[in-house]
Amino acid sequence: MLKIVVGHSNDPDSFAAVEEVIQQCTTSLIGNIPQAGILFTAIDFEHHLILQRIHQAFPGIELIGGTTDGEISSVLEFQQDSITLMLFCSDDIEIFAGVGEQVSTDPFTATKQAVEQAKAKTTKAPQLCLTHPESLTTSGVSILKGLKLALGEKFPIFGGLAADQSKYQQTYQFFQTQVLSDSVPILLFSGNVIFSHGIASGWFPIGKTSKVTKVEKNIVYEIDGKPALEFYRHYLGTLSPSIEYPLAVFAEDGVNFYLRAPIAHDETTGTITFFADIPEQATIQISEAGHQDILSAAHDSFMNAINNYPGKEPAGVLFFSCVARRQILGMQTQQEYQTTKNYLHHCLPACGFYSNGEIAPINSTGQTHFHNETFVTLILGSS
Amino acid sequence: MNCQQEIQKLQKENRILQKKLERSEIDRIKLEETNRKKESLLKKVIDEVQASQNQLEQRTLELERTLMNLQVMQDKMSVLGGLVADVAHEINNPVGFIMGNITPAMEYIHDLLYLIELYQHFYPEPSPKIKEQIQVMDLDYVCEDLPKLITSMKEGTARISQLSSSLRTFARADTESKLPFNIHEGINSTLVILKHRLKANQNRPDIQVIKQYGDIPLIECFPGQLNQVFMNILANAIDALEESNHGLSFAEIEDKKNQIIIKTTLDSQNNTVVIYIKDNALGMSGVVQSKIFQHSFTTKPVGKGTGLGLSIAHQIIVQKHGGTLEVESFVGEGSEFAIAIPIY
Repeated sequence: MLKIVVGHSNDPDSFAAVEEVIQQCTTSLIGNIPQAGILFTAIDFEHHLILQRIHQAFPGIELIGGTTDGEISSVLEFQQDSITLMLFCSDDIEIFAGVGEQVSTDPFTATKQAVEQAKAKTTKAPQLCLTHPESLTTSGVSILKGLKLALGEKFPIFGGLAADQSKYQQTYQFFQTQVLSDSVPILLFSGNVIFSHGIASGWFPIGKTSKVTKVEKNIVYEIDGKPALEFYRHYLGTLSPSIEYPLAVFAEDGVNFYLRAPIAHDETTGTITFFADIPEQATIQISEAGHQDILSAAHDSFMNAINNYPGKEPAGVLFFSCVARRQILGMQTQQEYQTTKNYLHHCLPACGFYSNGEIAPINSTGQTHFHNETFVTLILGSS
Repeated sequence: MNCQQEIQKLQKENRILQKKLERSEIDRIKLEETNRKKESLLKKVIDEVQASQNQLEQRTLELERTLMNLQVMQDKMSVLGGLVADVAHEINNPVGFIMGNITPAMEYIHDLLYLIELYQHFYPEPSPKIKEQIQVMDLDYVCEDLPKLITSMKEGTARISQLSSSLRTFARADTESKLPFNIHEGINSTLVILKHRLKANQNRPDIQVIKQYGDIPLIECFPGQLNQVFMNILANAIDALEESNHGLSFAEIEDKKNQIIIKTTLDSQNNTVVIYIKDNALGMSGVVQSKIFQHSFTTKPVGKGTGLGLSIAHQIIVQKHGGTLEVESFVGEGSEFAIAIPIY
């Protein structure tokens, strides 16, 4: 049996907010003791204070989390400048946390360290991994590669990259009571956990097709033999490349594509850094999305997860949505969560955040991939 | 709710409102920027669509013009084809008279020569006038040469007859539906038309054509179009052989031998007839091989090749006959075209 509870406060005062969240969770727990939790907070909070207070309230809890670009929950729905906490209780599911630091220096060692730390405490077979890693110091693909190496190529990994309300300066990750940067915290679920998921984006390629002619991992130097920045200048004029206008990178069939969003650019060299790697000679197109496309995709993602859920009663749901979706939706952002909640007979405990990159498998049996501009729904329960 | 709680609640709401105000200002600026980017992107894409539409219109115009020219050309070719068939038919009649009369003419000549021989035997001393005439006309030579002359005329008329029959086969007008056709007849008539290009000239000896015809049934096809394909591939093979002779002496070419092998087989497993046309010229590189069936691709000098021949041949075999046209070539060894046509 898996019990999931959620607390959410939009009080800008750190102490008041964490107290409110703890109180909501305690009420919902009805005496159950949580084993683990995941915390999503806005950047402008006293994170140390919040983590310490949670550990005082729930001693021995395995806690991870990080900063975001907006928070979602079944309590307050979509909020900015809030904190939301999801807690897990179960007698037949083990949930343990691990962390790897200095991920930009050596992503493979850092991820291996995180997985080994969590596995060391586990007695049952690991089934699922949640993560909330750094987004600004290294490529999301490198982190995912490391996690896959440590957990297995087809091990299901879900999560979102930490964000900082689109300042792109510094993000924070949480592990137990520590506030870290350049790290990869994970939560490993072992035993009787069951789950299903759905992913969808809503972005479509537009404009002419081009070729990436010079690239090094996630730094694109040239497109069609010219500085990469010129490609964006052609479409956006003097405005900077940004996450809302990613590149559609086409597969060999020329029909299927995945998205890679820009994170930074260099005016002098004309290079653009993306959240994840792009292959050399890849065929690309700029892409964009409208409000309706984004909302329909969120709905599709949720419905896929619900329709594929292998059990009877889900215990809770996690959402990982892209910061670009929030930026384009503006005032309509709250509809992303609202579009999902109407399809349930009762209110399912839900928690999520707007991230700088999403992690989820493309289908239920396939390998985990790194995504941009995507809405990931993860439904959890026990068998 | 007591006063203290009410104050706390109001203080909290005030904090939230202040934060929301601050956030909404940042969000508004971001949203405006996002919208400006969208506006710029969409404007650019509309420009691109407009430019591509203009290009398409231009291309459509060019294609329409080309189509019209092709239609005019097709009409002309069709009229010319009909004309060639008619002329070939018209030539056949007088050739028929000549061929029909040449055998009795030979008999008469033979009789007349025998009669002269008899005269000479029984009247060894003719009148001086006859003697003089015999000398002037060189009777002995005429008697020897006349039968040869008639034999040569017979051969000439036989050739005219073969050529006119080949022209009729080659230029036969295609109907809307397919007809049963003897592929060998089609290849043979194409070879007759190309005879002037195959025979020896001052620079090189004959191009040898080796026929390895198999036992194949009649094929339901558009005969005129198939002949066009044979003509195109054979003419290309002759061009390639001539190119391979460049810089070689007559004797060197004679040693090397310019050769075209035409082989036909029945592939009963795939229910197709396969025609192989192979030359021993210089062959093609992989890059050229991959492009030869592309529209407008040619390796010939400007003004010599249109780049349409093999592209049209490919279209005729693949689209019109549901077959395949493939090429296998090795640089320095030559090329082999394989035309497979299904038997229905």
